[in-house]
Amino acid sequence: MPRERADPGGPVEEVFWAPTIVLTNSVTNLPQGNLNFTIMHSFGIATDGVQDLFGLDGAANIRFGIDYGVFDWLSVGVGRSRFDKLYDGRFKANVLRQTKDGRMPLELALTGNVGVMTLENGFEFTDRLNYGAAVLLARKVSDRLSVQVAPMVSHFNTVFIEEDTDGAILEQKNTHLGLGLAGRFAITRRVAVLAEYLPVFGERSDGTTDAFSVGLNLETGGHVFQLFFTPSSWLTEQHAIARNTDQFFEGDFRFGFNVNRVFSVR
Amino acid sequence: MRYALPFFLLLLVSPLQAQVYMTEGGRAEFTSSVPLHTFTGTSDRLAGRIDLAEGTVDFYLDLETLDTGIGKRDKDMRETLETDQFPFAEFFGTLATPFDPASRAAQSVRVQGTFKLHGVEREVEIEGTLQQTADGLRVEAAWDINLDDYDIVPPRLLIVKVDEVQAIRIEATLSPENS
Repeated sequence: MPRERADPGGPVEEVFWAPTIVLTNSVTNLPQGNLNFTIMHSFGIATDGVQDLFGLDGAANIRFGIDYGVFDWLSVGVGRSRFDKLYDGRFKANVLRQTKDGRMPLELALTGNVGVMTLENGFEFTDRLNYGAAVLLARKVSDRLSVQVAPMVSHFNTVFIEEDTDGAILEQKNTHLGLGLAGRFAITRRVAVLAEYLPVFGERSDGTTDAFSVGLNLETGGHVFQLFFTPSSWLTEQHAIARNTDQFFEGDFRFGFNVNRVFSVR
Repeated sequence: MRYALPFFLLLLVSPLQAQVYMTEGGRAEFTSSVPLHTFTGTSDRLAGRIDLAEGTVDFYLDLETLDTGIGKRDKDMRETLETDQFPFAEFFGTLATPFDPASRAAQSVRVQGTFKLHGVEREVEIEGTLQQTADGLRVEAAWDINLDDYDIVPPRLLIVKVDEVQAIRIEATLSPENS
């Protein structure tokens, strides 16, 4: 009896190892029935020195989240971040899957995130809302190398005009357009390096800078640990684009980590 | 004579007449243990062919169709089995005990042949049952394999090592080849 592969043109395996890269989503989605529990953490500025134990004493933002694979191509999730006491709901839909036989050379996914700031400040509900959306285009170039390009938009229903310590007026914009550029290079089966760059295009809030992050992916069976240095203390895409004010290459970066743990709930 | 035509037609469609049975949708399952935990991987893409006239038994499974319920674990399994290089688990052998195709009872049988996994071939004897049913030829079998015998290094989950002995189970209903 001749031997034939069951699905020779099936999707390639894991373009990225986790549903997130550093601050942004990767095209990798959860298989149907899988639940991913995520802890994201970023500390204070690492270059503040040993007095603050390289940022570990600094104010940390933490996001706890769960995402669930409704289908192999669709996941939904919720999370809660410490900063702004932010609750967010999100989805990721894989529209195209890169195939092993090359018939489809790219992976295409859409993501959306709606955040609700719950600080007690007298705002109306609609004033508290913020949104992030992205089109993720990625390719697993080889077993070692994957790349991703992601046009994205961030919108805040409410922004502020502030005065800094020098008396200068700082004006925030409601909407920011950005591009997520990311890559992963596997050093071994279990270890990969990550890089992510989020340039903002067009108008931007005063002080907003482009976030550049680097990190390590460590895979141990059901866990994926991501250790990284990033300038951003914000942990959702819409905030990372619009609210980051620190610059990696000026030494303003902080240590952070993501822990991803996958469970089967079928 | 007036009953002859219906009789011959009945013979043509009866699975009892078939000598060769095939499936591409059998079920294969392995059970793996780590300390304090057991998990199962399954596939419904087991392919098989049994020729009762020749007494041959031929089965194979595309290992990438095995699903343990967690995508990350599936990926680990495929890397451990090196499925890019060795995509199939295969058995080819012969019936070593008699089987009466006219009986509808489940009959214990033993097959002898070569089991190939991870590029390593080993001679094995497997016990199971064969049964003629209205849908075709029903096969059930279970046996253990030792990963070390097939040059497979059991994966580790942190410091916990997956047991080298894996319990294998297959079940399938094979249809007459030309049905």
